[in-house]
Amino acid sequence: MTARVTVAPAVGRPSARSARKLARKTAVYVALIAGGLAMMIPFLWMLTTSLKTRAEVFSSSPLSFPTGLHWENYTKMWFALPQVTFGTFFQNSIVIASLATIGQLVTCSMAAYAFAVLEFRFKRVLFALILATLIIPFQVVLVPNFILYRYLPWPFSQSGNWIGTNLPLWVWAFFGGAFGTFLLRQFFLAIPRELADAARVDGANPWQIFLRIYVPLARPALATLAIFQFMWSWNDLLDPLIYLRDLPTYTTTVGLAFFQGQFVGKWPEMMAGALVSLLPMIILFVVAQKYFVRGIALSGLKG
Amino acid sequence: MTALTRLGDRAGRATSPGQARPHGGPRARESRWALLFLAPTIVGLAVLSAGPILAAFGISLTKWDLMTPPQVVGLDNYARLLSDDRFLKALRNTAFYTVVSVPVGLTFALGLGVALNQQIRGIAWIRTAYFLPLVTSATAIALVWLWIYSPTGLLNNLLATFGISPQRWISDPTLAMPSIIAMSIWQGLPANVIIFLAGLQAIPVEYYDAASVDGAGRRSRFRHVTLPLLTPSIFFTGILALIGSFQVFDQVYVMANPGKPSEATITLVYFIYENGFRNFKMGYASAASWLMFLIVAVFTILYFRTQDRWVHYQ
Repeated sequence: MTARVTVAPAVGRPSARSARKLARKTAVYVALIAGGLAMMIPFLWMLTTSLKTRAEVFSSSPLSFPTGLHWENYTKMWFALPQVTFGTFFQNSIVIASLATIGQLVTCSMAAYAFAVLEFRFKRVLFALILATLIIPFQVVLVPNFILYRYLPWPFSQSGNWIGTNLPLWVWAFFGGAFGTFLLRQFFLAIPRELADAARVDGANPWQIFLRIYVPLARPALATLAIFQFMWSWNDLLDPLIYLRDLPTYTTTVGLAFFQGQFVGKWPEMMAGALVSLLPMIILFVVAQKYFVRGIALSGLKG
Repeated sequence: MTALTRLGDRAGRATSPGQARPHGGPRARESRWALLFLAPTIVGLAVLSAGPILAAFGISLTKWDLMTPPQVVGLDNYARLLSDDRFLKALRNTAFYTVVSVPVGLTFALGLGVALNQQIRGIAWIRTAYFLPLVTSATAIALVWLWIYSPTGLLNNLLATFGISPQRWISDPTLAMPSIIAMSIWQGLPANVIIFLAGLQAIPVEYYDAASVDGAGRRSRFRHVTLPLLTPSIFFTGILALIGSFQVFDQVYVMANPGKPSEATITLVYFIYENGFRNFKMGYASAASWLMFLIVAVFTILYFRTQDRWVHYQ
């Protein structure tokens, strides 16, 4: 794409042209970096606020740096609630997001394999039906799903059913999903059929072909799906809000919202909490940015 | 049988999908395998998505508090919704959110996509800064923006340097929704920018070369090459933004916490949440969710209808 810049109509003497090009390049850098900083302002402000004292937050200029690094805001936030620490919320979020991710990886890859490789009746209808669920706002099924989980028995919960447990937040993931099925099917379709056919000649059945050829080759696509599902589960607020009842079962998002309701005006602690809750995703993003970008560019989906 | 003849066999099968082989043949066997692979998905579709959509309609015809058995009330819930002030406000706020956030958000994303498409050194790092909001939870982000918007927050301080008096961004009924929209646009930018970047990079360089040879300047190249060839991406991000804009909840919840949102910021999904899971009016909440489903469906269909008029596929 450098070519695109250099094909600009040639005017003026070479030295004047290169000077103008340099000026333009500098302007582009300045504008892009300034814009990037502007995008980062909420993060930077979160960080500086979290390190200030409460008095400092209101007395000093908001853009000023903290006079001292008050890391104690983080410990105060961590132990702010009685009976539970913020670590409990973290643990709950990790458990739910991991189980949901495993469920999606297993069942979406199975469905994607059937749609990409196997021949069967009603294939197109079924695939169209699954795609249609992509554009249906899931809030339509909130009430029926709630009622369903309310009638599913569970001996270990206070209610005797699934309400108040984390089951409604991850069990669904073991029953397929439109995003994952679509993403993986696209990937499976690009794998040469000859590989499967050769394996079949050697006596492999579809399950063996799936496990030994398709799954290993689809590792980048599986990583993309894993990252997205983990992120969606981690960031979800509405479902945990509906199903979780007791403080010790809260996820980081519900915990953070609860924390906010309890500690109005304690901005340093609140920003510390918000930052800590975002940290795992920010690290994941910096490490695996290409998977995020590929996932969005491939399927164009967001949470 | 060699792999090659197998391949031919498969191709033949694919062209005559209606013809089923006799029972027990390779096709029937493959169908049974397919059923195995698809079993979780089919159960999920029936029990967790397609089934519940129909169930939601059934529930919407009842009055049900989950404590006593449901009473069938016909279309009563729908009639009541249409004269419920809070529902109409939720509808209006959501419509306002859609009408503003979708075009403004897409315009920003388009400009940013073009800007970030330049191949300069360090562009990967610069892009990371722009993409970061992508992975953040709306809950934590709303919390930060609540602080930015607070009476003593960043925004009022910034305005003070220009001599503008402080505003009550969130509690002022006219400013509340625009404030939420601004925050959501910021958070929604990266996903749209990424789609636009993918679209921009798919445009062949030769098109730009040809336009330049014809004497087209930078602006003209954007109007006559970039923009038309990017319409599929614009169409695609448009549909996602449209559907997403009907689902705003987290920001509204956090901004109003503790308590409930005023009529200035309540959205459709919050209305459903409030009635279904705080007041346990299952029928009423289902009716609201079905109306939302219908509205989204109508807008989606209308949007797809416009496709022929402005989307150019290469």
